Amino acid sequence: MSEPAGAPEAEAAGMSAASRFRVICEIIESAHLPGNHHRLVLEAPEIARLARPGQFVHVWCHPPEQIDRPPCAAVLRRPYSISRVWGPNRIVILMRVRGVGGSLLAARRAGERLDIIGPLGRGFAVAEGTRTAVVVAGGIGLAPVPLLLEWLAVHGIRTILLAGAADDSKLPFLVERPPGRPATLPELEELGAEVTFASESVEGVLVSDLLEMRLSELAHAHTQVFAIGPRAMLKRLAAICEGCLELQVSLEERMACGLGACRSCVVPARSAEGTAYKTVCRDGPVFDAREIDWERLTT
Amino acid sequence: MAPDLTVRIGAMEMKNPVMLASGIFGYGDEFMGLAPYGELGALVLKTVTLFPRAGNPPASRTAETPAGLVNAIGLENVGLEAFLRDKLPVALSYGTHIVASIAGDTAQEFADCARALDRAGVSALEVNISCPNVKQGGMAFGVDAQASADVVAAVRAATSLPIIAKLTPNVTDVAAVAAACERSGADAVSLTNTFSAMVIDPETRRPLLAAGTGGLSGPAIRPAAVYRVREVAARVRVPVIGMGGIWNASDALEFLIAGASAVAVGTALYADPEAGHRVLRGIRGYLERHGIATVSDLVGSLRSAGG
Repeated sequence: MSEPAGAPEAEAAGMSAASRFRVICEIIESAHLPGNHHRLVLEAPEIARLARPGQFVHVWCHPPEQIDRPPCAAVLRRPYSISRVWGPNRIVILMRVRGVGGSLLAARRAGERLDIIGPLGRGFAVAEGTRTAVVVAGGIGLAPVPLLLEWLAVHGIRTILLAGAADDSKLPFLVERPPGRPATLPELEELGAEVTFASESVEGVLVSDLLEMRLSELAHAHTQVFAIGPRAMLKRLAAICEGCLELQVSLEERMACGLGACRSCVVPARSAEGTAYKTVCRDGPVFDAREIDWERLTT
Repeated sequence: MAPDLTVRIGAMEMKNPVMLASGIFGYGDEFMGLAPYGELGALVLKTVTLFPRAGNPPASRTAETPAGLVNAIGLENVGLEAFLRDKLPVALSYGTHIVASIAGDTAQEFADCARALDRAGVSALEVNISCPNVKQGGMAFGVDAQASADVVAAVRAATSLPIIAKLTPNVTDVAAVAAACERSGADAVSLTNTFSAMVIDPETRRPLLAAGTGGLSGPAIRPAAVYRVREVAARVRVPVIGMGGIWNASDALEFLIAGASAVAVGTALYADPEAGHRVLRGIRGYLERHGIATVSDLVGSLRSAGG
């Protein structure tokens, strides 16, 4: 199976100009969703063509026409994972609106233009021989899951999605709760995954519990786990999977440049010789769980 | 006729006065392909030290503030050996002047870096004296005129490359530090580095930055930086490179008029990878509009208030 675009080896070979683009794209749709979530659909063919699951775009929150004007707020771009690729030309961003940058973006309307750079970072990679994928996602961590599910489906991999949130409103996708039956996430089930959803407030379990409960069934050599969500969840998953399951995690951190230059978004890496850091924006956001020094990773 | 934009910093002759500031542009490879950076006057790379440094603890190293950015990266860098082997060749491929920024715990370490870079292909050295002076209890070299002069003198003895002393604004009299650097052989001074700053989270009552404090950059500091550039330009004969919150051509022109021979774009690059190009276009347009033949005619052309 091919490596995702933006793998470090490709970057070392010169970070070819064609690996990411800065584009001024049109906003096709700007929609408020329940639970203070927001969806932007963007016409960005160059990025849509290259995007791999787990990669992100770095978004300038102000109108591109105002780039020459120093902003008082949201001086920096904001990173958002690519949620879906629609058709050959469009990408979808799904965000929880919080802070000044998100608020500015959520106020943008269809027909306006947006200045974005992407696709950035290292996405998820499927290992040779993987037959089953377990995707574990918590809260807004579900944003990039649709693209991952589509990608796994294209590669013929059986996919189990274990999704969780503090409560149903913390999910960027619609939760249906038929009386007397388990909750469902219809939009994600349509993508071919076997979905189990549990919210902490209703079912009283954490998403990491869902994996632990099925560990003996799932812990096989041909199974890979892909996880996106809060650090406490990822930390717990790293402990659960250690020694029995291949685990890739997608990490978040405050970024400035988004390109690996400023060294703002670093996380502690396992290293034979003292302290070492890796950047979430360029070395990640997806890491093999064995790359991370979980003891030193702050939650 | 197109205006003459060339600028000379010691032996480094730049095709135009727009540079990218150290720390912002990384080692250059990170921005590859996002803009034709070879069109700019010079690219200053991230500070390198003799040996690799891990930098400050993460979470967080940066905080966004009104019209600004506070950072406390802590000079994380790959070290001189990896810089020369892996990073510099990529930066040199941009085809414009590359300036290496160096730092050390002692004047000797600065000199060792300078010697190793003397024939490495860089066009000039920027001496980052804002880093802590380990022998003097960790206070920055740059806050003391004598310590600054000692570093510049040590570097002067180790290289024939043009030396740019990068000044910190966190002093009582930055012009005195600039003058001391000039006397010790600096070919130019650049300012300002970031302003000491701190952000506190009232909910936790803890500093937002893991290092506790950091340095403020971005549009918020521009007027304070212009003020200091004016002070320094009035005191030294060597060229001054002005920086601090430059976002557009108008900002850059303020620095030139205040006495800077060249300018550097920093934080704005993170919003706009073409910020330097945008500034350059605007400077060219201004010179044409005002019928000014060469950019050097503008340097230090400040008129008195009132008028």
